Amino acid sequence: MSRRFAGRVCVVTGAARGIGLAIAQRLGSEGGRIAALDVSARRLEPAVNELKAKGFEARGYALDVSDRVAVRSEFGRIERDFGAPISVLVNNAVWARFMPLADIDEETSRRMLSVGVEGLFWTTQAAAPQMARNGGGAIVNLTSVSAAHPAKHSIAYSAVKAGVTGLTRASATELAPQGIRVNAIAPGMIGTPASIAQFDEATIATRQTEMPLGRFGAPEEIAALAAFLASDEASYLQGAVVTADGGWTVPAR
Amino acid sequence: MKRLEGKRAVVTGGGSGIGKASAIRLAREGASVFVVGRSANTEETVEEIRAEGGTALGMITDASLEDNVAEIVRRCLSEVGGLEIFFANIGVTGTNTPLLDQSVEEWMEVYRINTVSCFLAIKYAGAHMTAQRYGSIILTSSAASLRANAGAISYSASKAAVNNLAQTAANAFAGTGVRVNAVLPGLVETQLTRKVFEDARARGVESKIGHVTPLKRPGRADEIAAAVAFLASDDSSYVDGQLLSVDGGVSSTHPFGRIALPN
Repeated sequence: MSRRFAGRVCVVTGAARGIGLAIAQRLGSEGGRIAALDVSARRLEPAVNELKAKGFEARGYALDVSDRVAVRSEFGRIERDFGAPISVLVNNAVWARFMPLADIDEETSRRMLSVGVEGLFWTTQAAAPQMARNGGGAIVNLTSVSAAHPAKHSIAYSAVKAGVTGLTRASATELAPQGIRVNAIAPGMIGTPASIAQFDEATIATRQTEMPLGRFGAPEEIAALAAFLASDEASYLQGAVVTADGGWTVPAR
Repeated sequence: MKRLEGKRAVVTGGGSGIGKASAIRLAREGASVFVVGRSANTEETVEEIRAEGGTALGMITDASLEDNVAEIVRRCLSEVGGLEIFFANIGVTGTNTPLLDQSVEEWMEVYRINTVSCFLAIKYAGAHMTAQRYGSIILTSSAASLRANAGAISYSASKAAVNNLAQTAANAFAGTGVRVNAVLPGLVETQLTRKVFEDARARGVESKIGHVTPLKRPGRADEIAAAVAFLASDDSSYVDGQLLSVDGGVSSTHPFGRIALPN
């Protein structure tokens, strides 16, 4: 139960900090062999050292998931480095900016879509054949409550995350015959430094009162859900989008 | 340390199927389980848990009636010593009578057993859990709550009401530390669905069961139990008011079993 990923190669994108790092730690704590991916080599190094210090097998790969050719070659390298095909892929990497409609420019739009949507095409494309050769695997995609319940200045972000929800469900249908399960997590407000920094104290206090659980989530709580979905425990979940938002989107107001 | 060590759980409909699998699963994770069912097989679940070294007590009663649910919670508190988890799981299928011929009596009975039983679980378990500011209530819904043609009409509507109850109760318990979620199984062979499986076997088409799902098979009770254990545990501590589909993907796609796909 506590070693659900023993011996399994687990790829986590955006793993250098926040939710991605928490997921890498949780999978590692359950025996997973961790390939930690992040666009920033500088951020990745301390994260991988932290994972290793906890006694986990971990390797870092500095990689921009929007680069299809690089993704393909790095996923091949991961299989060679670990001496085993990838079993678990957690698509957590995203590049996000929040702005009013009028301020969305081509560069922002391209970057958000190429990392947050196309990046998942490329990683899924690269991981699925390894999983199929291995008799199956599990993919967990990070979408957001913003896909269906967008907050302020979220036109681009909600488009990206609605894209993730759609590609999750379509991948679930297409990859099921290869024994690959694909599910998504829709987090609400998670108290990572990056998300907290977006708001002033008054906004944070208001947000918390809107949530039945009355608080922002912790990255570890998303990691616990990711571990469930990635494990054999979730063997009959396919194409599911599981919201973890403390009930934020449950009431009308 | 097991995930549910020290926790006390009520499981209704615990004599067979998803309830039995869940009671056994919660016990394996360390919970003391108060197994409730309408018939003698309730004690079989209790015996199986004890044979594995787990802790369980049984109570034979109808968990769709208010006085009985109050008694379930009272006895769990006094005899098991507390209550942190309540899995409200009893249900009936309703009939496939053509819609225009259905009776109010059938609807009232299906609603009483499938929906009102969940309200009563929330009312009596919720009173204790909100006072102690901790608890997880899990309601059994169904994939039929989201899609047509996955169950009888009265059944499907009663389960849609259960979904709403998970949301409204989660909201009503805002700030109390009590979470309410629903699990939505797809087709699983249990007492409720045995006829579907037996008919298919009789016609030699058992391998077609579950083929409308992307995973192309029916679910097993232990797969639903694993999701129930997740919702019961602190691993789901930020999941509240949610509808967790455990249905092989049937609710996330078109019913593509009707069209030709590779494999």
